[in-house]
Amino acid sequence: MTESRPNPKALLIGSPNCGKTLLFNRLTGLQHRVANFPGITVEIARGHMSGLDDVTLYDYPGTYSLKAISGEERVAVEQFEAALEDPELGVVLCLVDVTRLEKSLYLALQVTRECARAGKPVLILANMIDVLERHDIHLDLDGLAAEIGAPVIPVSARAGTGLDTLRERVRQEFASPQLPRRSGDEDDVLLRGTSHQLARKYGPKGDVLLKSQHRLDDFFLHSAFGGVAFFVVMYLLFQSIFTWSAPAMDAVEAGLAWLSDQVVPLFGYQLARDFTADALFSGLGAFLVFVPQIFVLTFVIGLLEDSGYMARAAVLCHRPLRFFGLTGKSFIPMLSGVACAIPGIYAARSIDSPRRRFLTYLAIPLMPCSARLPVYTLLIAAFIPSGTALGGLVGWQGLAMFLVYFFGMFSGLIVTAVVSRWGSTREADLPFVLEMPAYRLPSLSPLLRRSWQRCQHFITKAGGIIISVTVIVWLLGYFPNYGEDLGASWLGQLGRIIEPVFAPMGLDWRYGVAILTSFLAREVFVGTLGVMFGIEGADENMVPLVAQIQSSDLGIASGVALLVFFAIALMCVSTLAILSREAGSYRLAVRMFLAYCAMAYVAALLAYHLVGLFGA
Amino acid sequence: MTVSLWTLARGESGAIDHFDECLPEAYRLRLLELGFHPGESVRCVQAPALGAPRVYQVANVTFSLDDDIAGCVHVVQVHDD
Repeated sequence: MTESRPNPKALLIGSPNCGKTLLFNRLTGLQHRVANFPGITVEIARGHMSGLDDVTLYDYPGTYSLKAISGEERVAVEQFEAALEDPELGVVLCLVDVTRLEKSLYLALQVTRECARAGKPVLILANMIDVLERHDIHLDLDGLAAEIGAPVIPVSARAGTGLDTLRERVRQEFASPQLPRRSGDEDDVLLRGTSHQLARKYGPKGDVLLKSQHRLDDFFLHSAFGGVAFFVVMYLLFQSIFTWSAPAMDAVEAGLAWLSDQVVPLFGYQLARDFTADALFSGLGAFLVFVPQIFVLTFVIGLLEDSGYMARAAVLCHRPLRFFGLTGKSFIPMLSGVACAIPGIYAARSIDSPRRRFLTYLAIPLMPCSARLPVYTLLIAAFIPSGTALGGLVGWQGLAMFLVYFFGMFSGLIVTAVVSRWGSTREADLPFVLEMPAYRLPSLSPLLRRSWQRCQHFITKAGGIIISVTVIVWLLGYFPNYGEDLGASWLGQLGRIIEPVFAPMGLDWRYGVAILTSFLAREVFVGTLGVMFGIEGADENMVPLVAQIQSSDLGIASGVALLVFFAIALMCVSTLAILSREAGSYRLAVRMFLAYCAMAYVAALLAYHLVGLFGA
Repeated sequence: MTVSLWTLARGESGAIDHFDECLPEAYRLRLLELGFHPGESVRCVQAPALGAPRVYQVANVTFSLDDDIAGCVHVVQVHDD
């Protein structure tokens, strides 16, 4: 944009939940994750500004001030301070929420001071101006700009207004000569007082904006109704995963079966036909069939976040979670872990207490993530009847899914309760402060997009591994006798070597092989078992595999043992990698892997013998 | 006479008097940044059951604080009548 800046940069900073990422998406055309909950942005995002294509815009995690407390605040502050020394940085955009001016202005004043010291121009963006206009509230932004000493531009990230003016101002700032550095000698105490006075003078008066929020909080945080609403919301979440996504899953299965019928006969050789049907289409079906469930799960969690309910859930959960050594803020990472452990681990950065963040890391891998769904679905279909009760409102299989999910969560809480009682000190546990976001009607389009992105992530992350493993397992099971006798194949020989490990749970060598391969990705279990039972297209349609399991000599005790094993074992390579990165040490990941696998094995054995005691 | 913020029942207000020594410095500063200034009026707008964190309104913003932190904020109770 200018000769002095071959790679011009702009950065976006602001307090948590003030609409930064939504504005970033508007300005860049990208689709980073947005939610109505503080602490959603935990990493720095970047993209080219549309209309100013050579300018790279950086979106920093939210921070209430330049004195960081939590992990994501430290990221924002350290990067901001480093960026001020970058000659490529042409302008700083500081976003303030004008409906909640009090919480935003202190940071805006600190940013303005630091920019003055570094000789960088700053633009204050007054976001959510449309909300005030709807209530016929008008602020004196010119007066505010004069007092702050920086231009204030009204924008609405949600409605997309004011962005052309903003781009024009950014263009002007890049065209302007470098500003001289100024002393900026106002200390933080003075700025805190000034921000308080300015918020009182220029902020919206009265609490008209909070009236509807209070009315909804009267219900959702009510001593009785609040708890009931929480359990209803959580129950609907789990029913949605199992029951509501079933038609779409059936459609995917039918589509893959049809495609397989069309493609397989095109090959002349039996080997090629077997490979295409049993390896390739099995591999595809093993993960594509679960895409609808992941879509529904992400969509429902997104609805809860965007509506503002998630913060209320964190408040309601804080006290019980504290008993287990956690905090209400652990609820969001743990709930994210229900979709996938990886975003859950990232979200744990918003927990300011290092000790409670560590305990949350321990709990997340035990949350029943979407990769466990295929295993649970298969085993529940094999052992739980598909009937309903209460006029079809409660499905037995849905209820079983709820219970197995609950078991995973409960295991996580037990682990954190035990660990938190070792060497616990009060000083190590920082207190709970959470800004309550306004209730909002979620926008469907970004939610649908986010859900699809999660599915794409699942397909790209798990798909390659699952197809590769399915192909390898098929090859091992097909040779050296061309699929004539699975027991005599290389896979059968391998299974018999490890059979003694799983025999105490009543599982034969075929299950041992399936468990072994699922250490690469849990979802592989179903595909491998299909190959082991010699069922063509078992992944596209589980019914024959379920029937095969039901007619085999696998008792319910072994089925429960398998469910328990998969609920506890830490079998995801990607989760371990992210854990190492976030914890800053591979030791924690290695210890957790070994501990959870040992715990899973012992718990599965116990479950097998306990169920056996009841004669099952 | 001052009482702790945590003792305010739902619907009751108080003017912030001072912060306890037990409050970590980082959190005292954070509360100031969020608008909990001495003299500022704070209202308890929600007090969920079973000791859950309570929701307090300061200016146009609401925050949820648990007993560890609200117990360290001392207010002079303000009676509306």
